[in-house]
Amino acid sequence: MIDPQIIVLGMAALAALVSVIATYLAILEKNLVRAVVFSAIQSTLYAFLYYVLMAPDIVLVYIPVAVGLYPAVVLILISKTEKEEKV
Amino acid sequence: MRHSIAIVSLVLFVLSMALLLTLAKQAYIPRKEVRDLAKIYLNTTYNPWNKKFTAMSPEGVTAIVWDYRGLDTVFETAVFYLAIIGSIALARGIGKYSKPTSDEKKLGLSLIVKTVTRITTVSIIAVAVSIALHGHLTPGGGFQGGATAAVAPLLILIAFSQYFLLERGVSKDLMLVIRSLGLAGIGLTAIAAYFIGVAMNKYAFVLQNQAKPLSEVSIPAYIDGQLISGTLWFFNISEFFAVMAGFTIVLILLVIPERAFKSSGGEEK
Repeated sequence: MIDPQIIVLGMAALAALVSVIATYLAILEKNLVRAVVFSAIQSTLYAFLYYVLMAPDIVLVYIPVAVGLYPAVVLILISKTEKEEKV
Repeated sequence: MRHSIAIVSLVLFVLSMALLLTLAKQAYIPRKEVRDLAKIYLNTTYNPWNKKFTAMSPEGVTAIVWDYRGLDTVFETAVFYLAIIGSIALARGIGKYSKPTSDEKKLGLSLIVKTVTRITTVSIIAVAVSIALHGHLTPGGGFQGGATAAVAPLLILIAFSQYFLLERGVSKDLMLVIRSLGLAGIGLTAIAAYFIGVAMNKYAFVLQNQAKPLSEVSIPAYIDGQLISGTLWFFNISEFFAVMAGFTIVLILLVIPERAFKSSGGEEK
């Protein structure tokens, strides 16, 4: 029988690793709407990480701000400009 | 191909850093003083048997944020206030704009989205109020509750279009009034102990919550047997309204239809 704590911490490590990949894709993505989606994936994984690291106060402020308000505000701003990033 | 090579090297870098930290952790053990600091906080945050050194709140984080380091949080709220003032200044001169069509059903998103929004908005507000009102008992607090409550107007603005809120009186000016009242509440709570001290002819600090050895003034920790932790409950409620109204102002300003505003001549108020 595996210790439950090891399983939870392993899931947290996996979430941290996937969030790094999501951040990388969010930076490189030229389609801004898809970049916001990658950024939101990273935020969701961070919210899970904060919960595992026993910071429930941060989770409660992180979920509305980083998963709700921030992607929505950036999407509203993108809808007022162009969808593609030009270099 | 370039993407996958970069991702693999990124993952390898993170894993090697994690291995390095795991090895380094065995050599580093936190000193005893660090644990003593945590012990002090845990012993004083809710301790009714030691009335001179306690915040009377079982929630350590809220007690630290609004009692142990209350002045920092007041300044944080002031910074947030100035940020909202800045965004209002950027959107100055934007007056009333006319609605494109009088039929409300044609505005916003589809009926399915509107129905789901009707249900979720109520539950979001309920959760937000519960987070704010229980901030001194369970994880949460004024800022957390206010940020959660601000998601509800955001959903309404997108699903029902911006005219829905404006026609029901939820305007930028009303939100400014609510936010100013919240900030006034924070200010009054901060100096409440001082005025009680003046009335009782005793010394008291600004931002004082419970009695301290130097000043015996304390805000009542219980109301009718319910724990409210003195100033913490009032701070949380005021902060809830200030943050919720502040975020709503920014969202209302963001969804102003610039093209319609400019094509109608951009009349100033």
